[in-house]
Amino acid sequence: MEKYGKLSPELMEELRAIVGKERFFTGEDIDPNYSHDEMPIYGSHMPEAVCEVESTREVSEILKLCNEHRIPVTPRGAGTGLVGGAVPLLGGVVISTVRMNKILDYDMKNLCVRTQVGVLLQDLAADAAEHGLFYPPDPGEKTATVGGNVATNAGGMRAVKYGVTRDYVLAMTVVLPTGEILELGKAVCKSSSGYSLLQLMCGSEGTLGIITELTLKLIPAPPHDVSLLMPFENLADAIASVPDIKLAKLDPQSIEFMDADIVRSSAAFTGNSIFPQKLQGREVGGCILVTLVGNSEDELYEKMDRLNDVAEKAGAIDLLVVDTPSLKKTVWSARSSFLTAIEADTKLVDELDVVVPVDKIAEFLVYTRQVGEEQGLYVRNFGHAGDGNLHIYCCSNTMTEEEFIPRVKVVMGKCYSECARFGGQVSGEHAIGHAKKEYLRESVGDTAFRLMSQIKRVFDPNMILNPGKVCTYTEEGKGED
Amino acid sequence: MLKILVCVKQVPDIDLVKMDPETGNLVRDGVPSMINPLDMNALEAALRLKEDMGGEITAITMGPPAAEAVLRECLALGADRAVLVTGREFGGADTLSTSYVIAKAALQLGSYDLIFCGKETVDGATGQMGSQLAERFGTSQVTSMSLIKSLDMERGSIVVEREVEKGVETIEARIPCLFTVEKTNYQPRLPNYRGKKAARTAKIITMGPGDIEGLDEKLIGVPGSGTIVPRIYPPVLPEAGQIIDEGSAAASAVKLCAILAAEGRI
Repeated sequence: MEKYGKLSPELMEELRAIVGKERFFTGEDIDPNYSHDEMPIYGSHMPEAVCEVESTREVSEILKLCNEHRIPVTPRGAGTGLVGGAVPLLGGVVISTVRMNKILDYDMKNLCVRTQVGVLLQDLAADAAEHGLFYPPDPGEKTATVGGNVATNAGGMRAVKYGVTRDYVLAMTVVLPTGEILELGKAVCKSSSGYSLLQLMCGSEGTLGIITELTLKLIPAPPHDVSLLMPFENLADAIASVPDIKLAKLDPQSIEFMDADIVRSSAAFTGNSIFPQKLQGREVGGCILVTLVGNSEDELYEKMDRLNDVAEKAGAIDLLVVDTPSLKKTVWSARSSFLTAIEADTKLVDELDVVVPVDKIAEFLVYTRQVGEEQGLYVRNFGHAGDGNLHIYCCSNTMTEEEFIPRVKVVMGKCYSECARFGGQVSGEHAIGHAKKEYLRESVGDTAFRLMSQIKRVFDPNMILNPGKVCTYTEEGKGED
Repeated sequence: MLKILVCVKQVPDIDLVKMDPETGNLVRDGVPSMINPLDMNALEAALRLKEDMGGEITAITMGPPAAEAVLRECLALGADRAVLVTGREFGGADTLSTSYVIAKAALQLGSYDLIFCGKETVDGATGQMGSQLAERFGTSQVTSMSLIKSLDMERGSIVVEREVEKGVETIEARIPCLFTVEKTNYQPRLPNYRGKKAARTAKIITMGPGDIEGLDEKLIGVPGSGTIVPRIYPPVLPEAGQIIDEGSAAASAVKLCAILAAEGRI
């Protein structure tokens, strides 16, 4: 257990001097949202001070000061995380990057963009599109910051074709906990140049340094795309079709799945019932949503022909085409609203973001539902069928929090063990934060966990940065062996 | 066999259209087109009726050659034939001349028991076409139709619900009848791949001015239009009001008086 210093009135004054009084908040002036992320079940902790930074220099000065006085610092983007990663467990200072929201410049010859980290994903995607380019990572939460996306190595719906956020990070400016400013990576496409500290930073959840600027790879936008919906009578059949979709040489941009319950919740919440619940007199139990891209409409039709064969063989009720801009918008905004829909009609919720081998998805979903129901919880799920990344929500509207937490813990414990048995990973894209540490430790084993803790200490000898996250503890008696 | 006509229009994607603040003109360059969303509700009503009763659906539109795309959407969803009325002479038409031409063209191809229109278009938004067409076809009409309850072809009557401000009217109408359709119960379905593929190469019946018998040239295009649009401008929005809620009517009235007095109005 580290010993931390106190944020004295004098230190507060020094912090205020760094960012200016307009962007420095203490006590009751702090927006309560700074105490939690989007998963309130993991607890709220108010920081003692919030600095809304605008430059790398400010971040550096704050960290120098806090490192010297051993003040805990928690970096935060838009606060849309789901594992408590941005929660200031020990109070201290929150550094918010939301004001670092400028897209700096495009390099149209080398196809990349330099941006500050507080730019929202939706703004970057739209701006890149205006430049005729395409930023492939597409996590469902469009109001997350790109910095948060890099810090959690967010994946999203197009990962099956294009990979995840880390695959698009060419370079970054990062401020170490000591305040040193470090430039990592270069705006080039390859590197075999020593340990990749750049890649180590991706997915480090603000525990090793605070990223302030990014150079991200872009690609030319695919000229044509179409989404197709395959409704099935049951979800297991839907998911069983995924390997065949992958083998049909379609190179799909995304392969998503959704069960009937989440479709119903989303329709009730958004008033948008674009996903059919009944079709040709048959109840729809689950759907696969596929996006195909191509260089011409003819190419898309050739691919759709092959997908139609797969759909027929797999027993899909039909193959529905989402091809106009307004239909695409309706369908994909419904898909992106699933989590919000769950949050809207659920009092208590906890989630898993596991990744399992694609051929184990259906079995795993059956298991989680069964374990959830044994504990009196209802389970909603959707996710990325193409890469086995599942979003499973264990919910209750009838229990008190005191009843819910021990029960959901039982469910989580069993499900993460089952996930490990299937050869899966604890998190596909939501990361570890402080909520999933124990499951990470069990999953990777003591040696790997110890290495992670040791790496953390190399970067952050005073352990001030985002304490209690990923592989460090704030509780007495826990921590490095 | 039940014969249904569905009238549709190609409109610019309203989410992407901007108004030129100087000229007030709509900037449509490079903006993709789409089928008027409310016409999709009309088509959906027709498709459900066809599923229940059988029949033939004809989709018709007037517009430039590119408007063929919206007809292919209708065919993909289950329309049986599609008619594109097109020609430079029709350009600049308002609803008066458009309804004249559509009715002439449609009647030349056959008669219809039921005609479905969207409630209005999202570009012009006059909401006049349905009623004008009912006059031209000489049919009864029910606007804001929200649900078809029953259809009795032998008696020649149809019972529908109609949304009104304070509730729902149930109306029995004589066939042939024209409806403008509310979206309440007619959320459009997604087309399936088979339909899409077949629609891609399906024949579209194309009619120019010379193909429509007895067309009076004075009644089409700009000369046939009863209205002209001298200017389009964005509306001036009123200032946001202030809600006074002091907990009770009496206290709120006192507060209102104080505000008015402070402004020297009373």
